[in-house]
Amino acid sequence: MAYRHFEAIEKHAGLLGILTAIMVSIGGLAEITPLFMEAHAVKAPPGVQPYDPLRLAGKDIYVREGCYLCHSQMIRALRAETERYGHFSTAAESVYDRPFQWGSKRTGPDLARVGGKYSDDWQRVHLMDPRKVVPQSNMPGYPWLASQKLDAADIQARMRTLRKLGDPYSDAEIAGAPAALEGKTELDAVVAYLQGLGIRNEPATATAATAARAGQAGAP
Amino acid sequence: MSTGWSLWVMFLVVLNLGITLFLFLWGPRAKIPTQPDGTSGHVWAHGVLREGVRRLPMWWIVLSAGMFVVGFAYLALFPGFGNYKGLLGWTSHGKLARDVAANDARLAPLMERFGLYPVEQLAGDPAAQQMGKVLFEDNCAACHQRSGKGNVLLGAPDLTDGDWLYGGDGKAIATSIHDGRSGVMPPWASLGEDNVKHLAQYVLSLSGAPHDAAQAAAGQPLFATCAACHGADGKGNTALGAPNLTDKVWLHGGSVAEVEQTIRDGRQGHMPAWSPRLSDAQIHVLAAYVYHLSHADGDDPR
Repeated sequence: MAYRHFEAIEKHAGLLGILTAIMVSIGGLAEITPLFMEAHAVKAPPGVQPYDPLRLAGKDIYVREGCYLCHSQMIRALRAETERYGHFSTAAESVYDRPFQWGSKRTGPDLARVGGKYSDDWQRVHLMDPRKVVPQSNMPGYPWLASQKLDAADIQARMRTLRKLGDPYSDAEIAGAPAALEGKTELDAVVAYLQGLGIRNEPATATAATAARAGQAGAP
Repeated sequence: MSTGWSLWVMFLVVLNLGITLFLFLWGPRAKIPTQPDGTSGHVWAHGVLREGVRRLPMWWIVLSAGMFVVGFAYLALFPGFGNYKGLLGWTSHGKLARDVAANDARLAPLMERFGLYPVEQLAGDPAAQQMGKVLFEDNCAACHQRSGKGNVLLGAPDLTDGDWLYGGDGKAIATSIHDGRSGVMPPWASLGEDNVKHLAQYVLSLSGAPHDAAQAAAGQPLFATCAACHGADGKGNTALGAPNLTDKVWLHGGSVAEVEQTIRDGRQGHMPAWSPRLSDAQIHVLAAYVYHLSHADGDDPR
């Protein structure tokens, strides 16, 4: 290569732009492409089941109301996070989340393992008016959820669509959706969804680790 | 990462570093044809701006060389070059495990000391109170409030008074935290609305609250139903978590309407189990903090 080649690049803005774009995209091609392509190979670990109809409805309401704008569902492998929220999240736990709820931007706490942390009643009161249980909370209330009924046919259609995408719903499960959703409100659905988050899907090593920690007096 | 993708990453790393290193090494040596006026002959704005030919400043060369050194050192020490694990064998999970172990080791002497004392005695320990307060605000305050005064909406009991649904000794408190509690009072609407009202007046009379004496008298025989859990004298039963009705403490509110609602519709109180979310050692410290809430430092048994 000689100077005249660089002179050509320097003097032709279009060529300069294209070559700059190639150099800038190398980082993304190396960091994002392999993980993106291999994500399809992630299999659900034992214990991680597709959402039942009520929780599926709750998940979609969670997305509709924009809960993800303040709450992430990804516990990072940092001590400050595992101390507060539990075992760090793994990709396999989210195989049935479409769209996934990862993120590190939080205004409220991470919800990846919030299931069972509070009672159903607490979740209900908190969703209606958060300040009735947490006076200093700045989360908005969602009182309309209590008066909205669920549409079973809509949820069945969603289950069929998810089955096309690979979620193992059986015909019986789809047929059973109307019975499971009978008389339930959107509030019931969101509470069921929240109470199921992180339940029974911690990585296998976590249970052993927790047991070991519980057994030693020095555990924090 | 599969071998194919590993090779893909290696190729891109080599490509990127190769191009930039070539430019870095070749750039200063490039022979730039210089015009008699000392410029490269490149002009902008119809000759107003002309490109001079100067050597690269030393600070820029040193800085860039430094970046290459850091880049190659990083690739050698840390995982980054495809599947190559790096000389240090660093992983984020390994880092987490080391951080947790280091913290556990720091806390170990303290937790060991805490473990030597029963909850009642530990409650007077300022270090245990401090750690307990943090745990309480993180986990318990959502229902019991930061002050520990509870929440009537949820039937979350006030922890600062001397009244205990399931017993107030250290062991009972630790068990409540460890296993959680579920209180169930069945609904009594089947007794009929009049009887519910009479019973409510009788229940109010037990604690000396203002009540209608005639209605209370009418309700008294019906209390036999309630006595199964609350006792014939209405003093409750800590084995069942049945509240004492003769004191002035009301879990779900003590107004006429609230007491009537409690009898008519029943009540369900649920406290989640905190094991294994919290370790046994943490629950021990937390129980001590809760015990401390209702025992002023003065009447500490120590």
